[in-house]
Amino acid sequence: MPTIMAAKNSKTDLLQGTLDMLILRTLLFGPAHGHQIAKHIQRTTDDVLQVEHGSLYPALHRMERKGWIAAKWELSRERNREFKYYRLTPAGRRQLSHEESRWKQVAAAVARVMGRAGEGEI
Amino acid sequence: MSARNWLGSLLARIRAGRHRMQDLNRELELHLELEAEEQREAGVPAEESGYAARRALGNAALIAEDVRAVWSMGWWDGMARDLRYGARTFRKNPGFTTVAVLTLALGIGANTAIFSVVESVLLRPLPFTEANQLVRIYSTKDGVPLTPNGSGVSGGPSTMDMRDFAQNNHTFQQMAVYDTWRKNVSFAAREGEPQQMWVGLVPGAYFRILEVKPVIGRLFTAQESYTGKYYVAAISAQLWRNQFGADPAILRRTIRINDEPYSIVAVMPDVIPEWMEGRAIQIWTPFGFADSRGEVWTEAGRGGRGWHSLGRMKPGASLQKAQADLATIAAGLAATHPVDRGIGVALETLSETRAHDLRPMLLLLMGAVSLILLIACVNLANLLLARNSGRERELAMRAALGANKARLVRQLLAEMLLLSLSGGCLGLLLAEVGVAALTRIHPEGLPQLSSLGLNWRALMFTLAVSLLTTLLFGLVPALTGTRLNLVETLKLGSRTTTSGSGAQRMRRALVITEMAMSLMLLIGAALLVQSMLHLQRQDLGIRQDHLLTGHFYLPGVRYPDSGAITRFCDRFGDKVRALPGVAEASVTTIYPPTYNWTQMLTIEGRPATRVQDVPTARFGVTDAHYLVTMGIPLIRGRDFNESDRPDSSPVALVSQELVRRYFPDEDPIGRRIHIGPPAFMQLPSGTDIMDSSDVTIVGVIGDVRNAGLTSSPEPQILVLYSQHPLVNYGFKDIVIRTTSNPRAIVPQVARQLHALDADMPFAQVRTMDEVVELETGSQRFTTALLALFAAVGVLLAAVGIYGVVSFLVAQRRQELAVRMALGATRAAALWLVLKQGVAMAGTGAAIGLLGAWATEKFIRGILFGISPLDPLTFVGGAAFLLAVAAIATAIPGSGVMRLDPAQALRQE
Repeated sequence: MPTIMAAKNSKTDLLQGTLDMLILRTLLFGPAHGHQIAKHIQRTTDDVLQVEHGSLYPALHRMERKGWIAAKWELSRERNREFKYYRLTPAGRRQLSHEESRWKQVAAAVARVMGRAGEGEI
Repeated sequence: MSARNWLGSLLARIRAGRHRMQDLNRELELHLELEAEEQREAGVPAEESGYAARRALGNAALIAEDVRAVWSMGWWDGMARDLRYGARTFRKNPGFTTVAVLTLALGIGANTAIFSVVESVLLRPLPFTEANQLVRIYSTKDGVPLTPNGSGVSGGPSTMDMRDFAQNNHTFQQMAVYDTWRKNVSFAAREGEPQQMWVGLVPGAYFRILEVKPVIGRLFTAQESYTGKYYVAAISAQLWRNQFGADPAILRRTIRINDEPYSIVAVMPDVIPEWMEGRAIQIWTPFGFADSRGEVWTEAGRGGRGWHSLGRMKPGASLQKAQADLATIAAGLAATHPVDRGIGVALETLSETRAHDLRPMLLLLMGAVSLILLIACVNLANLLLARNSGRERELAMRAALGANKARLVRQLLAEMLLLSLSGGCLGLLLAEVGVAALTRIHPEGLPQLSSLGLNWRALMFTLAVSLLTTLLFGLVPALTGTRLNLVETLKLGSRTTTSGSGAQRMRRALVITEMAMSLMLLIGAALLVQSMLHLQRQDLGIRQDHLLTGHFYLPGVRYPDSGAITRFCDRFGDKVRALPGVAEASVTTIYPPTYNWTQMLTIEGRPATRVQDVPTARFGVTDAHYLVTMGIPLIRGRDFNESDRPDSSPVALVSQELVRRYFPDEDPIGRRIHIGPPAFMQLPSGTDIMDSSDVTIVGVIGDVRNAGLTSSPEPQILVLYSQHPLVNYGFKDIVIRTTSNPRAIVPQVARQLHALDADMPFAQVRTMDEVVELETGSQRFTTALLALFAAVGVLLAAVGIYGVVSFLVAQRRQELAVRMALGATRAAALWLVLKQGVAMAGTGAAIGLLGAWATEKFIRGILFGISPLDPLTFVGGAAFLLAVAAIATAIPGSGVMRLDPAQALRQE
């Protein structure tokens, strides 16, 4: 099962950007805490993408630092306990659309390569 | 941001960091709980769900570290990392680090020390309220301060003029005229060990103008200040502590001045700085005592100048307005009083008087020390450039791994900062030492330096200089060091950019400027040293060796008339001449190189009719042993002898200059002269230390310097004090010619004096050599400092050129090895390297000569006997510098000689 590991090296930021994008997209639906985000991605992709929890939190803190998401300890309605909820900021929304368009570009490019290669024999 | 704020924000950041960690731990714990719950719901047994959750999460410690890394990528933490890295690299290169830090410390330390001097002389605010209102008032003739007769402040006004100024001005709150004098002082109620001290003779207004209030007691009243009948005194707090043990009942004590008791009415705070009166004054008595003959406030005393003046302008009055105001009054005075004809007035603020004629010296020193700093920065820049070229691979690697240019520059800048701050701290230490030394050796002519010290202004200055030097030497290497061609650099064995021709040219240019600046320093110092030697070799006109001088004062209370004074002086002279170890001795009032006592003369048969035609001469009263004691040659006629007695016809000796000026074509021997103001001037005799007597010239003596070391001697006339009761004052000096060390007989002479009068201190004891040294005090000070700077500058320049040439040699080793393998001689290879060093030194020397020529006016003012463009000095200085450069080049060059071509080629 392919797992998404956020790369520690800043140079290979393609995969890191992907994780960021997924997290931002998740939060588009409303605030959530870390565990919820992880489970949401897992469920939505039918378990195809499992976020390694170890890369989730550094990503969350990094995005918080950059100002794309904001965090706050709030009382959960269901469980009567405090969780740290993250929510999208306006800057985060802008970053999300930016990442989305970039992802579409990459996906299209990959598709073109794969399509061509399918014609010839390598 | 102040230090406390910065520290506070740092602590806040640390606290926030810890809080964040707690936060994260809480978050992870919750995550684990939820995950365990899900595991249980998925069917994992309860005991295992915890482990399963942990496995799903991953390594919590690693997560924490990653999060910490995210938060710590702030600017400050990056900087801290860079600083630590920089410190490590410096530790690994102790040689480079030592040279760099020492070079910086020298430059910064010297600048801070000299700045402290400048600060205490020019910049430090005066310790008085509204000090910019305080001025001194001077009498001028033809725009130049008038030299007073006898002793007195140069340009000091007369009392009557000051009174008219005080009564008729519109721009002053208050004015005062006062004086300072040497007096015999003793502190015990009975006859105790007396000292000679300088006493201020001041009206109460003096302190009121300065707004100095007594610590204990009261100021002199107007009556006390001006009548001279009220024996009251004020003492300084320091004297109160040292001599009276801070006795709280001080106002009941008395102090004996010139054998008369004065009751102490005030203790003044130690506020008045030493430079104000040129010496530390600890005792003040009313101004009335300056008027022993009751003529100070009469018209007869209007011509007596040289008094001290002080005034406080009205708030809002400017110096120009006050000047114009007093100038109008002075013009009126000149019209109504003949003795004031041609006399103008000039005002100077009190803070200006502090700086006075030290300004040229200070400018020179500041210029010199800035040159030193520039040389140091140039050296450092070169060192860093060379170092950078060695780090090219490292920098290229970091760039390849993702550091952007900004980060690299930040790394280099962090190292510069580290260097300059450590250099700055060490420099501050050096400055402390330097300032302490300067305070200790400060010449008598620079009392402003007695309160020298490092203060916060100097600290600020040091910090500013450190940061400035960082920019000066750091930026260029930092920027060039990061202009990397990554691919080229990482290729092994390639010639890289910072060793390329661009950087080479820059380094050469730096060395050339270095050479130029140190040559300028060298020439300046050489000129000053020669000037100093000329000054000291000035012939005084006497035999200067083995001569001791001393001063004593016969108070009027016990020696009321000329006869008593003569008797005492003759007996004292006889007793001293009888001492073993004494060849000759003379009681006198004058000795070279400077004395100002001037008399007007009337030559018999040639009376003058206008003031400007009246002949004048320097005057002195002595005993009959003066010529032999001082070793002054007798040119014609005879010396004083036993036949010249108080009741015989008065005789005089005149100098050659007097003969040249007033008896150009005739024999002066036997001619009669009247000493004293001519009749038409209508001045009462005896006023303003003027004589009135007729003398016969009996001898012509050689010229003796009497107008200072640098001016030619003025006409001179000498008479016997026994024959001139009008000017036979209690102030006397004694000059003693000894057979061996003059200082050795001081105790015996003092004993003889005490034997005659136990209350009389033997004061101001100096050898003739010391007297001459005192005259040249501030000159020697400047010369010594400049010579030191020149030495440091040359040393730094030598180090600089050595560094560059050795780098050149290291760089061209391969090339030279190849050349030698192909048949070039070692000498030829050596010359290839030396050629560059010599070229740099030569160009630098040429520019330095130009620079010295262009800046000659800064040094012209303090030179004596040598032109600021002296060709010999210029050529000699350049030759010396070139020689030093040659040696500095030869040392690494000798490495070439030992090069083994085969081995060098193999190391490729």
